[in-house]
Amino acid sequence: MPEEKPAKSIDQATQELIEKANKEGVNTAFDRAESLKPCPIGAAGSCCKHCGMGPCRVPLPKGKEETPEEKQKRRGVCGATAETIAARNFIRMVAGGASAHSDHGRGVAELFLAVAKGKAPGYEIKDEQKLLQLALDWDIEIGDRSNNEIAVDIGEKALAEFGKQEGELITLRKAPLKRQELWRQQGVAPRGIDREIVEIMHRTHIGVDQDYVNLLKQGVRAAIGDGWGGSMIATELQDILFGTPAPILGKANLGVLKEKEVNIIIHGHEPLLSEMIVAAAAESEMLELAKSKDAEGINLSGMCCTANEILMRHGVPIAGNFLQQELAIVTGAVDAMVVDVQCIMQSIQTVAECYHTKIITTAAKAKIPGATHIEFNEHDAMKSAREIVKTAIENFPNRKGNIMIPDHQCDQIAGFSHETINYLLGGMFRASYRPLNDNIINGRIRGVAGVVGCNNARVKHNEAHIVMVKELIKNDVLVITTGCNAIACAEAGLMVPEAASKYAGEGLAEVCETVGIPPVLHMGSCVDNSRILIAATAMVKDGGLGDDISDLPVAGAAPEWMSEKAISIGQYFVASGVYTVFGVTWPTEGSKEVTEFLFKDMEKLYGGMWDFQPDPVRAAQLMIAHIDSKRKALGIDQARERVLYDMEMRRELEG
Amino acid sequence: MVYKTVKKEAPGRGEVDILAETYEAGIPAGEEVGRWRQKMESRDEKLKYLKSGERYWYSDDWFGSEKRKNPA
Ligand code: SF4
Repeated sequence: MPEEKPAKSIDQATQELIEKANKEGVNTAFDRAESLKPCPIGAAGSCCKHCGMGPCRVPLPKGKEETPEEKQKRRGVCGATAETIAARNFIRMVAGGASAHSDHGRGVAELFLAVAKGKAPGYEIKDEQKLLQLALDWDIEIGDRSNNEIAVDIGEKALAEFGKQEGELITLRKAPLKRQELWRQQGVAPRGIDREIVEIMHRTHIGVDQDYVNLLKQGVRAAIGDGWGGSMIATELQDILFGTPAPILGKANLGVLKEKEVNIIIHGHEPLLSEMIVAAAAESEMLELAKSKDAEGINLSGMCCTANEILMRHGVPIAGNFLQQELAIVTGAVDAMVVDVQCIMQSIQTVAECYHTKIITTAAKAKIPGATHIEFNEHDAMKSAREIVKTAIENFPNRKGNIMIPDHQCDQIAGFSHETINYLLGGMFRASYRPLNDNIINGRIRGVAGVVGCNNARVKHNEAHIVMVKELIKNDVLVITTGCNAIACAEAGLMVPEAASKYAGEGLAEVCETVGIPPVLHMGSCVDNSRILIAATAMVKDGGLGDDISDLPVAGAAPEWMSEKAISIGQYFVASGVYTVFGVTWPTEGSKEVTEFLFKDMEKLYGGMWDFQPDPVRAAQLMIAHIDSKRKALGIDQARERVLYDMEMRRELEG
Repeated sequence: MVYKTVKKEAPGRGEVDILAETYEAGIPAGEEVGRWRQKMESRDEKLKYLKSGERYWYSDDWFGSEKRKNPA
């Protein structure tokens, strides 16, 4: 009997579509991951190709301790040591990730300014309160000025942060005071968002910075410029333009596609155009056109972080996360997949050619050969949006008949921005993190974990995400999430209030049931990891849990990471004082010194450190152990006598 | 409001009736359900909320755990 192959995903819909792809001879990332093995030298960060004398490969000897003489010789042609090479590679990943998030932030700032100046028809300022908030943050006069006048100042100031040459980022002011001081002492407060990234590229050029500690320090500076700079600007300005997320219902998984409707999937990261597509798809003219093509309607859904953005603000259903992008097309029911930037597989075009799907690229900086390009023009966004929706509708009659939409989808509640969590916990008249802090102090909630990040085709799709999150909530750790982890959690049914009684420990379940929240809170897309930083800061400022993020019983993780953005996020979590554990693979394993620095020495400098553990249960246990050590340091580790209030006692209290 | 209760073992008190979940199971209907920010209308109201609700950053006299410290 042929041996049964292990499933490549824990998700049923994904499994069904992998099978369909196999039957139809469609090659996907799942197949390529099997036939194309990662280079072990590159994976460990021991390959440098920064000049024409290389690539130089300097792997750690296997199965034996290296002698000092051998270590001396383990260098590139230019003399760069394995430490320098590993550190260079690591911070170039930070640079890649930070530039992706920050360029997204710049794009939002440019649109924001155009909106403020009345040059971007179709957009408007939707959240005045967030506008006022940013004006207070950045010392911009409010007075009797109009929203647009205030917004012009905000937009200009935001854009200036990218090219600033000296001083420090204005957005750092949001961090706990002690953290700001620590960054200044360590010399890692970023001067300008772009400057720190450019400096990484310079320092990692052949023959520049050859001290791994100094290289890694610049990695910290650029990463802070991402999380507390570029990403934060993206989140704040998007909230002003499109609304600060509030609780909203949605659905997740490939079952959200509809056989009889025109399916448009919006995939990528920036919500600028997708907000307009949401509006265009609702126009009666478009609906009529769809009907004229025998479609019953227009069904929008999202993929990756664009999905998170439009779910958080409009409840648009999520079709899937990173590893489901090709499979969505394999359903045969996707009439157009609209993409902008980041995490878009080039192979979606090849897969689309097997069906009828039109791949529509929209960003001047991200094209795919063979795809249709309809460029997003902020000065006439609605025109691009309508053209895209029309192209999808007109493609509906071209379906080839081999349609199979898996019958799997889950309900979810999303929209847990910092502002909303604060409001939900305290109410309109005394919005507050107090109930959260109190419940951490009394031990009902053990701590908080930010579990984020990608999918990685080297491991079973969604498995590490779900196993880790379930382990955490079972142990009374409240999970806050973004990105592909959030989508995995939604697909596994962890984002409804009922999940608390089903999966969470007694203490956490009790709190979730009282507040009416799920045990896993969806905070948004990957730039919205900045919301996690703000939530952690609010916990610090509310009091009772120390004076800095590094005092809090919190931890971070990206169990299925793969992108450079994840490395940048991890680096700014660590630089903010958070213990952060990654799964799958570790990119500096080729240098013990560099790895030791990231895993141990960083704690002495920043109060947070990296860790690596591919087993998600063990990784969760490491996070819980860290949370417990912080509880101990705060003196809240002693289990308090918990009084179970019965109804009689409750009535007495109320009386 | 009629509260739902469940029976649980309490240390030294045997089985007691305690309060069960207070949320309504299932999916609340309507788009508007979570839209709390729209309840604030005027600019004054919004600024007032920032000073109280987001006092961690916007109140002049309340810095949470940082109140005891010298503000940097
Ligand atoms: S910079 Fe040095 S280590 Fe890197 S490829 Fe060139 S010679 Fe090799």
